Amino acid sequence: MAATALTIDGLEVSFGSVKAVNNVTMTIAEGELRVLLGANGAGKTTLMDLISGRTHSTSGHIHLYDTEITNWQEHRIARAGIGRKFQIPSVFRELTVRQNFEVASCRNPSVFANLGFGFSRHALARIEEVLAIVDLRDKADVTAAYLSHGQTQWLELGLLMLQDPKVILLDEPTAGMTAAETKKTANIINSMRGKHTLLVVEHDMAFVREIAERITVLHLGEVLAEGDIASIETNEAVRRAYLGSRSIS
Amino acid sequence: MASRQRYDFLLYGLFVAAILLAPLMLDEFWLNRIAKYLVFGMLGVAVALSWGYAGILNLGQGLFFGAGAYMLAMSLKLASPTSLQQGSDTPVPDFMLWNAEPGALTQLCCINKGSFIWLPFQSQWFGVAMGIVLPVVIATITGLIVFRNRISGVFVSIITLALVLLVRLLVIDAQPLTNGFNGLTDLAWLTIGAFQSDPYSRATYYLVAIALSLVLVGARLLVSTRAGLILQATRDDETRARYLGLDVPSYQIFFFVVSAAICGFAGMLYVMVSEFASPTFMDLSFSITMVVWAAVGGRSSILGACVGAILINMIEAKVSETKALVEVWKAVVGLIFVLVVLYLPRGLGGFAHDLLDRWRAPATEAASDEGLVAESRDALAERG
Repeated sequence: MAATALTIDGLEVSFGSVKAVNNVTMTIAEGELRVLLGANGAGKTTLMDLISGRTHSTSGHIHLYDTEITNWQEHRIARAGIGRKFQIPSVFRELTVRQNFEVASCRNPSVFANLGFGFSRHALARIEEVLAIVDLRDKADVTAAYLSHGQTQWLELGLLMLQDPKVILLDEPTAGMTAAETKKTANIINSMRGKHTLLVVEHDMAFVREIAERITVLHLGEVLAEGDIASIETNEAVRRAYLGSRSIS
Repeated sequence: MASRQRYDFLLYGLFVAAILLAPLMLDEFWLNRIAKYLVFGMLGVAVALSWGYAGILNLGQGLFFGAGAYMLAMSLKLASPTSLQQGSDTPVPDFMLWNAEPGALTQLCCINKGSFIWLPFQSQWFGVAMGIVLPVVIATITGLIVFRNRISGVFVSIITLALVLLVRLLVIDAQPLTNGFNGLTDLAWLTIGAFQSDPYSRATYYLVAIALSLVLVGARLLVSTRAGLILQATRDDETRARYLGLDVPSYQIFFFVVSAAICGFAGMLYVMVSEFASPTFMDLSFSITMVVWAAVGGRSSILGACVGAILINMIEAKVSETKALVEVWKAVVGLIFVLVVLYLPRGLGGFAHDLLDRWRAPATEAASDEGLVAESRDALAERG
């Protein structure tokens, strides 16, 4: 059996009197692709915020492999091996695509280590590879602000590949995409499978079917169900809570 | 990209050659003036670094400029003939005597309560070193507090603005120590071996010109390092940079401090060419003027901001001394600012880059023109 990449144990956070995430416990195995489903306000993004250090939990623990990373600062969590893609694409808009990738391939976080020029042959080769994977090779010298919405999303996925974290959190990677773009995104994500452990928040069921192995359903901050796509689609509790009485999609 | 860098370095080379060759065409009076403007050009470099590259609009650059200026001026004041001839073993600045209480001992150590601070400044090199060290220390402390607490945007501007005004007030208030409003005047020349910083000598002009060239090229190299690239990334999206594992505040602090050190250095050079240090260096208007220079020159271009500072000062000098414009010269200069901000939002530097791109483009453009022609032919065919 594969090692456990991410362990979430009794995680809770409250904003005022609202418990946004309530006693969530889940484990994700190394190399797994887990999809998080849930209606608006179910706590999916908050859970990602907690894992990546943007929000601090009120109780519970998060382990990355054997390291407890609960409530660390964001850049330390990132360096420990958790990468995150935001719902609204977030890239370095005034830099070119290639420069974006160069920033992401800086391994050493300190200023003084980065006072040199240029990048290693290995890093440059890896940048070319990623440019090919996300299909931005002919846009390499274009300023990121001029990319289309889909291309910006792929650029951000590319940043994550270069950062090369053990666990990657993707928050609605296909939001606002056309069907063709969604298909391409699914291919990119499938190419990341195996190399990284992935946790994906998504609403688009066609896309979920394309990529999902196991699904965790959140409802009002709690884990409602967990299983493969067939068992979730037929789960009575999920139907009632998330989909109303009608069937999925 | 590579060819653009080549053009960039060509432009830097031209600029350095121009300021080094200027003495061939100018008399001592103008050389001294231009030397002052070159110092302002150095301030332009500092503003471009922190505003253009780090996205930190520091409205208190004058604090670092003033700190550098005062540190050197204190040493030069003690070395001046009047300070040496007060009939005591140690040099004593004249204004301390004017402000001294009756019966006070005429010694630097104890003529007033704080005068002992001046003791180490008897060494000229202590003043020179402090001219960099003090701005760096102030910037490091400010930077640690501001950036570690993730203060950003307009709040940084407000804090730095308040800080420069606070220090200005303290300097004016400590009249017996700093000569208050009057500042430090009647300074000696800085002596390095056989060189003396006579402000109207060619040697002093060359000192300033070479210093500016080094700072300019150094800053340009610094922003093309990996750290420079990461800094621009943090400017564009701090959160993204943080989630890539980069320690964002350390980059902001580092470049904030470098910018402060350049300002301190400029302050020292300014003391050499103008022979005084005054609290006006820490006036709000001066710090804001620096930002205007950078905006006109192009804050995203280090050379642009530097040239902007020099050009504006030359235009101001020319216009204010033209008889017909004596009454309205400020309006003329203001009009230039408005026009630049309206029509060249990226300043002269951005304009120059656009021109360069257009000039280099013909080859690629011709190719894409062909493509366009083919496309429209197809479109026509479809319609037909």
